[in-house]
Amino acid sequence: MTELYSASGSKVHAHKADIFCRDETRVDWHSKALWLLREKRDRAAASIPEWEQLRQLGSELKLHTLTHLTDYLQQFEQQCQANGIVVHWAKDGQEHNQIVLNILAKHQVKRLVKSKSMLTEECHMNPFLEQHGIEVVDTDLGERIIQLANMPPSHIVVPAIHMKKQEVGELFHQQLGTKKGESDPLYLTRAARAHLREKFLTADAAMTGVNMAIADQGAVVVCTNEGNADMGANLPKLQLHSMGIDKVVPNMDAAGILLRTLARNATGQPITTYSSFYRGPQQDGEMHVIIVDNGRTEMMKDKILAESLKCIRCGGCLNTCPVYRRSGGYSYNYTIPGPIGIAVGAKEDSTHSIPWACTLCGSCTYVCPTKVPLDKIIAHHRRLKAESKALPYGKSGYMPLVGRFMASDTMMNTSMSAARLALRVLPGSLLKPFSGAWGKYRELPVAPESSFASWYAKNRSR
Amino acid sequence: MSSKNSILSALSQSALTAHPMPNIEVEVTPQPLVETFAASLATVAGELHQYGGLVALQAKVDELMAQNLQVLSLVEGVSGNRQVPSTAHELADIDYAILAGELGVAENGAIWVSQTQHRVTPFICENLILALPEKALVANMHQAVNQVSLAQGALGVFVAGPSKTADIEQALVVGAHGACSLQVYLY
Amino acid sequence: MKIALFIPCLVNQMMPDVAIATLNLLEKLGHQVIFPQGQTCCGQPMTNSGCFDEAKKTTLKLLNAFKGVECDAIVCPAASCLVAAKENFHEFDSSKEAQEVISKLYELTEFLHDVAPIDGFVRPINKKISLQMSCHGIRMLNLATPTEEMGKQRFNKVEAVLGKIAGLEIVYPARIDECCGFGGTFAVDEGAVSAKMGKDKAQAHAATGAQYAVGFDPSCLLHLDGMIRRQLLPIETRHIAQVINDAL
Repeated sequence: MTELYSASGSKVHAHKADIFCRDETRVDWHSKALWLLREKRDRAAASIPEWEQLRQLGSELKLHTLTHLTDYLQQFEQQCQANGIVVHWAKDGQEHNQIVLNILAKHQVKRLVKSKSMLTEECHMNPFLEQHGIEVVDTDLGERIIQLANMPPSHIVVPAIHMKKQEVGELFHQQLGTKKGESDPLYLTRAARAHLREKFLTADAAMTGVNMAIADQGAVVVCTNEGNADMGANLPKLQLHSMGIDKVVPNMDAAGILLRTLARNATGQPITTYSSFYRGPQQDGEMHVIIVDNGRTEMMKDKILAESLKCIRCGGCLNTCPVYRRSGGYSYNYTIPGPIGIAVGAKEDSTHSIPWACTLCGSCTYVCPTKVPLDKIIAHHRRLKAESKALPYGKSGYMPLVGRFMASDTMMNTSMSAARLALRVLPGSLLKPFSGAWGKYRELPVAPESSFASWYAKNRSR
Repeated sequence: MSSKNSILSALSQSALTAHPMPNIEVEVTPQPLVETFAASLATVAGELHQYGGLVALQAKVDELMAQNLQVLSLVEGVSGNRQVPSTAHELADIDYAILAGELGVAENGAIWVSQTQHRVTPFICENLILALPEKALVANMHQAVNQVSLAQGALGVFVAGPSKTADIEQALVVGAHGACSLQVYLY
Repeated sequence: MKIALFIPCLVNQMMPDVAIATLNLLEKLGHQVIFPQGQTCCGQPMTNSGCFDEAKKTTLKLLNAFKGVECDAIVCPAASCLVAAKENFHEFDSSKEAQEVISKLYELTEFLHDVAPIDGFVRPINKKISLQMSCHGIRMLNLATPTEEMGKQRFNKVEAVLGKIAGLEIVYPARIDECCGFGGTFAVDEGAVSAKMGKDKAQAHAATGAQYAVGFDPSCLLHLDGMIRRQLLPIETRHIAQVINDAL
C-alpha cells in the first residue's frame, strides 16, 4: 500500500490501479465492503416514496444557492456576526491555514481536536499546524486510524475503509498499547474512545468541518455518528469551523431536504446520530467560521464544472463506482477519490490521467442526492485535457490516427480484413504479444470471415 | 482587495444562470406517528419506553442511583444525584444524563435537544436518557426544521440513537465518543 | 415501415452476425430494410477521450451516409454507439437535415418496444438467458429503470421485448446493472481494472446457470466474450437481435 499513497508516487491512475489489482482477494474484499454501502443506500432510499423528488429538490436548491451565492454568503456572514460568530474569508488553502494558525496562536493553543473535514485535507492544514508546534488530533475513529498510520484518507466518509481489522489491531497495539493480536472492532473502538476522551478533555481548541451553513440563521450544521465533533466543539472555549463557499444553503427548509438524503445516501442510515446546529459561541467562548474559496470560484466559471459544487460529500458516488471499488482511494492523485474526486480534482492531477479512471457508466450520477452530473463532468474534463494538450496514455499520438483511420473507407476496410484474417489463421500464441492490454486479460475475438458490408453487397445488393 | 471582496468579485464571473429556489412542498406519507417513531428509533439503536411516562423514568433513575451511578437530571420533575457543575469538564464522570427532548421525528428517530449551559452534556455522559412528550412527535424533517428554534449561543442537535461507528471494517459498534446508549421515555 | 440500418464499425467488422440477425428480424417483421452505404465510426472512441477535433471527420462522414435517406427510422443494434452518434451529430452539425437524422435514430430494443412494438414470435426458445444490462442503454437511452433510481414506475424494455418469447427464461446477474468494464479505450488504458470488472461480470452471468449472456451492446459482449473464454466459463454471449431472430 505504501507505494500507493506516498506523496512521491504521482503516477497515472492505471499504474496505481494495476498495483492495487495485484492482490485480487483484497480487491474483492474492498469492492464488496463498498457495495454493501450501496445496497444499504438502496434500501434506505427505497423506503422514502418521495426519494426522487428529494433529489430533484436537493439539486435545485443547491443550484439556486450557487447562482445567488454572493447574496447568501453575505447574508450568512451578517447573521453570524449578529450571533457573535467571527467570520473569516480565505482565497486559498494557504490563507485558510494562516488564519487558523493566527487564531490558535492568539489563544496559545497547543492541542487542537479536529473532526472530519475534507476541506482541511484539501488545504493540507494538519502538517502546516504541526510545523508550527500545534498538536492536531483527528478524532473521527477512521481519521484517527489513518492519522496514526500516517496515511491520507482513502474515502471521504469511511476514511480507513482500505484497512483490515488486523492491521488496525496491530497499529493500535503499537501506538495505543492495546493487546497484541487483538482485532475485535468493539475492543479497538473502546480503546480509541478512552484514548480520545483524554484528548477531548485536555484540548485547547476544536475544529470541525461544516455540512451546511444556513444563511438566514447564521448557523452551521455538523453531522457525525460518533459525536466527536460535539465532544470537541463544546469542551474547549474556542471552536473553529472551516467551510467551502459551496456549503451555504438559504434556510432551514433547505437543510431539512439535505438532512433527509445525506446519511441515507452515505451509509443507509435514516440520519446521522448527531446533526448539530451551532448558532454562536458557548458562554465565555469564541466561535470562528472560515469561508474558503480554494478554486471553487474558478470552477464556477465553467458551466459544467460548476455543478460539481452541488455536492454534499455523502460519498455515495464512491461506493457505487465500479472503478473506485477496484482501484482504491489512493489511485486518484487527489485528496478526494472516486467520481467526485475526479470532478473536483482533475485539474490538480499532474499525470492528467484521472478523468480516464472511469467507464462513463453513469451510475454515480443516478446515485447522487443532488444530481451532480458526474459522468458529464468527467467527460468534460477529458475534453479540457485534450484542448490543453494534456492527454495521458499516449492518446495525443494515436487519437488523430484513429480519427483518420475511421474516416477512411480504404484504410479501415483493408486493414480490418487483414486483422480478421490474422485473427482467424494465426495461432493465439503468436498473436498474443501483439494484442496489448486486450489480450493480456482477455481472449482475442473470434473473427468473422467478412464484414457485414461485404456480406450485404454479396447477398442483398441489387 | 480583501479576500472577501476578491471571492465575491470572482463569483460575479460565474457561468451559471440564475435558478429559482424550488418550492419545498413534500407530501407527508400517512403513517402512525408513535409506531413509526418507535421503529425508526430501533434502527438507530435507541430504546423506547412508550408507557409509564415520567413516573417510570423516575423509577429508572432511582434504580440507577441505588447502584451508585452518577445521574444528572435537567428534566423538571425528575431528580438525580448530581447538580450542574461549574465547568463542563466536571461532567466527565456522569453515568446518566436525563435531558428534555423537545421534538421527535418519526421518519428517522431523531430527537431535538437544545442545550445552553454546558453544551457538551448530551455527548459527554456515558448514557443518555431523553424525556419526550408524545405530542411533540412530527412525521418528517420538513416539519421538524420548521418547528425547532435556534437560540443564540445554544446548541441545537438532532440526536438519533447512541453514538456509533463502523470505521473498522464496517462492523457497527455502538458507543463511539458520545453517549454509549440512548433511552427515550415518552410521556 | 421503411428502416435504414445503422451498423456501427465494430459490428460491421467484428460481429456481422449481429447485423445480419438485425436485418433478418426486421424483414421478418414486415419492414422494408435498407443499408445506406458509406457508414463508419460514430466518433465515440475519440469524443470519449475528449478528442473532438479528431472525431469530427468520421462523425460527419457517418452522418452524411444518412442525410437525405428516405426512411421512417434509423435502427442500430448497439446502444452505446447510438448514444454517441446522437450526441456527436448534434455536436458537429446543427443543420435541419442533421436534426432530421437524429430524430429518426433508434436503438433496436427501443424501436421494437416504443416505435413498432414487436409481436408474433412463433418459435419457442427453451433456454435460460442472463441479461447484460449495459450502462449506456440503461442510463442514457432509458431502456430500463437503473437500480439507482427509486420510485414506483419501473420499466424494463429489454425484458418486455424478450419476455414475449415462449420458453425463454430470463434471469439477471448479481449487481444487475453494474458496468462490465469495457468503456471503450478504458479497456486498454485501464487494463487491470477493466479486466477485473469484466471477470466479475462474466462470473456473475455464469453463476446464474444461464446458457447465454444476452445483451444489446455488442462492445460489452465482445469484452465479456473475451473474459468468458479466458476463464473457460460455461456460458456464451449472444446479442438480443440473434435471440429475437431465432424466435421469429
